[in-house]
Amino acid sequence: MKLQIPVESKTLENGLRVVIAPDESAPLVTVGVYYRIGFRLEPRGRSGFAHLFEHMMFQGSANAPKMMHIKLINSSGGVLNGTTHYDLTNYFEAVPSNALERILWLEADRMRALKVDQENLNNQRDVVKEEVRVNVMNEPYGGFPWLDLPPVAFRNWANAHNFYGDFADLDAANLADVQAFFKTYYLPNNAVLLMVGDVRPPEGFSLAQKHFGGIPAGAPPLFADVSEPPQTEERRGTVEEKFGKLPAMAIGYRLPPRRSKDWHAMAMLDMALHGGRAGRVFRRLVMEKQVAVEAEGGVDDLFGLSGPTQMVTRIMHKPEFSAEATLAEFDAVMREVQDPGVSADELQQLQVKFRSDFYSSLEGGMLPRFGLMHLLACLTMFDGDPQLINAIFDGFLAVTRDDVQDVARRYLRRESRAIVFRRPASIAREAA
Amino acid sequence: MATPSVSEIPGGVPPLSAERPVHWPKRTRARLSSGFEVILAESRRVPKLTGELVFRAGNAALPGATPGLAAMAARVVRTGTSRRSSRQIEDDLRRIGADLSSGANADTTTISFAGLSEHSRPLLALVGELAREASFAEPEFERERRLRLEEVRNDRATPGFLAAERLRKVLYGAHPYSQYAPTEQQVQEYRREELLAVYRRNYSPAHAVLLLVGDFEAQAVLAQAEEIFGPWRGETPAAREFPAPPQLRGRRVHLVHVPGAVQTQILAGCLAINRKHPDWLKLVLANAVFGGAFNSRLVMNIREAKGYTYSPRSTLTPLRRAGHFTVFAAVRNDVVAATLTEIFYELDRMRSLPIPESELADGQNYLSGLFSLGLGSQEGLLGQLSTVAIDELPGDYLETYRGKMRALAPEDVLAASRDYFGSGNLQIVLVGDRAQIAQQAALFGEVDFYDAQGAKLPG
Repeated sequence: MKLQIPVESKTLENGLRVVIAPDESAPLVTVGVYYRIGFRLEPRGRSGFAHLFEHMMFQGSANAPKMMHIKLINSSGGVLNGTTHYDLTNYFEAVPSNALERILWLEADRMRALKVDQENLNNQRDVVKEEVRVNVMNEPYGGFPWLDLPPVAFRNWANAHNFYGDFADLDAANLADVQAFFKTYYLPNNAVLLMVGDVRPPEGFSLAQKHFGGIPAGAPPLFADVSEPPQTEERRGTVEEKFGKLPAMAIGYRLPPRRSKDWHAMAMLDMALHGGRAGRVFRRLVMEKQVAVEAEGGVDDLFGLSGPTQMVTRIMHKPEFSAEATLAEFDAVMREVQDPGVSADELQQLQVKFRSDFYSSLEGGMLPRFGLMHLLACLTMFDGDPQLINAIFDGFLAVTRDDVQDVARRYLRRESRAIVFRRPASIAREAA
Repeated sequence: MATPSVSEIPGGVPPLSAERPVHWPKRTRARLSSGFEVILAESRRVPKLTGELVFRAGNAALPGATPGLAAMAARVVRTGTSRRSSRQIEDDLRRIGADLSSGANADTTTISFAGLSEHSRPLLALVGELAREASFAEPEFERERRLRLEEVRNDRATPGFLAAERLRKVLYGAHPYSQYAPTEQQVQEYRREELLAVYRRNYSPAHAVLLLVGDFEAQAVLAQAEEIFGPWRGETPAAREFPAPPQLRGRRVHLVHVPGAVQTQILAGCLAINRKHPDWLKLVLANAVFGGAFNSRLVMNIREAKGYTYSPRSTLTPLRRAGHFTVFAAVRNDVVAATLTEIFYELDRMRSLPIPESELADGQNYLSGLFSLGLGSQEGLLGQLSTVAIDELPGDYLETYRGKMRALAPEDVLAASRDYFGSGNLQIVLVGDRAQIAQQAALFGEVDFYDAQGAKLPG
């Protein structure tokens, strides 16, 4: 059976793309504004800035001063957040549908004119530092491997720097940086507006025109080159684990280009390797050989990336097995999918599970229908066509055993992978 | 200084349009011939179904047992039955596009699952098999025990875990709710026979409820459930006696020392109530105004005005026989005392003055809207049905929640704050580096020091 999702879209004169997926089954609507700028392209010397800037977008706009934005959404019965990714930054709300116009007004107000001062910047810099402390510096395996692996795997600063930000860079960020970043990237012609849920498309488009139509377009941002030089040998690095007791490692392989035939096959291979407890990596390392305590991973946000990225396996292993012994078990799994490859029965299971996971992602996520909204945003922003939502599936179902074996042989190569080891300080101390 | 707040909506902000009525789907309730209850609700946005088989017994139901035994049993349940090996179970789940997990907390044991509607029957059959025919094979048990042991070791390096564990011990004393997690030693001593005994006792249809939400015809799935679970028979396990939690008087600080911590986690709390208590909704509203929402006094003060912390919040934890209220903030080491001062200031303000009508309305609207978000997904709806069933709330709880919330007045919030935000007796857990924070801690009460293993350190 096939799910047909109704989607309508339109581009306003200022270049803002508006995408609406109506569903009146509940009086709720999820709204998102996606900007095509993520931490990959933040300015040099300003690591962490894209994320710090995302915080600033909640600090006040021309007609909604600090705290007003949050208050208006909560008191309308809604919840909100924003997140910064490699290639995009999003802001989103889920509200009872009677608050739709209010939400659009708020999003338009901050797209038109951010209004923040030095006190706001100092405040959010402090907040972000505590965020980094709670998620990375004071937490076992904090930042593993999303902050550990890029500097080992990549050579282009855009892909390889500290995305949460060095504190010195956060300290150096100033209000001029904030306004420049806003003027360069936070443009209607560099954004997608999404409404998913209880909204009739004609009404949604007319509200979009009313509130966003008058925001002037800007010069299309010039995106820096994010390509990576060819890799010819395995790359390795080590990071000390301050709190945790178990050694860990992460292995990343480069992904084929977005929406290529290889990319579809790679997604199936990813599921064969990392599909939960049935995945080959977990099965061999945790269940059968019992070297690892955890072995999981995969491609994070398959649809949400437009630059170089990796399929990453995270392994936490028992201290009595060496890192090399653990890696040898992992390599045995890589050899199996190259030869003899996945079985026909296995591929069939993977495709059923892929379909089931896809349905779940449409409905769920952080907010109702968050997954559908995210997918529509990415298909619009990176592929130029939200209607792909109803076709994207076919490419995955068309993948054959041979395709999977083929990408396994061409992409799972030692010379094109990177490995980062997390070595617990407690073990180093015992050995000393 | 008062928390900055915006009390009026400025000109230009579009008003809310007329609210569309919120309708919860009809629930089909039935009793299978085995005597256990099934609750179904249709939700047809995606061709899937999601559900839970819940047993009303968890870790706390086992007098004298090693802590965490029910959770350990739940973990082993999915690793084999008399008919299927561990590997077969995982392959079979994938074959029908399903996910499944099994776990136990203090009060309940749950097998949760989700899968494609077209494969509802094999999914329910597997759930039934796990509930009745788990084999607890020795090698599977041994592997899972070893994995659990490593997890427990790592947990003791995690500040959030250490804070939650210490506060549970302090608040609940001899009550089994104080047992947040087993020690390494206790996991070492788990025996397969003990797990089997837990399995025979807790996994009984006599105190089970099956909840199903999804794209299906309720009657058709009910017939499948009857076929699978109908013939099952079992006893209601004898209820145990629960010792009362201690009545704690006066503030006290419980500092868990983590050498080298670059931040301090504050978790302060006191006993409160559970969902069955008549004051529950009043307390929910008071909590939302105090620290349960982004737009709350606590968040606006210590995050948005002062920048002490990233994600401060207050939380109500309703358990079956009791409940507690907590305030959390992870802050830089030099503002521990300043943060606690603000927490007490905001608690005492809630306890001293009625909240303004506009703030009351904001809180009511927030909670009403948030509650209706449950309608937006099968998972959200299942969570709501599960709360109603497990906490034995009235059948119209979902339909009446929003109206009851909107009927509350500032005096209700004031009364709930006075009764349950026990600032004078608040127990303060700090997880951080003793050398950095001990002096600040001492400003708020007598301090007990612990290491990460739970051993008391000299003062």
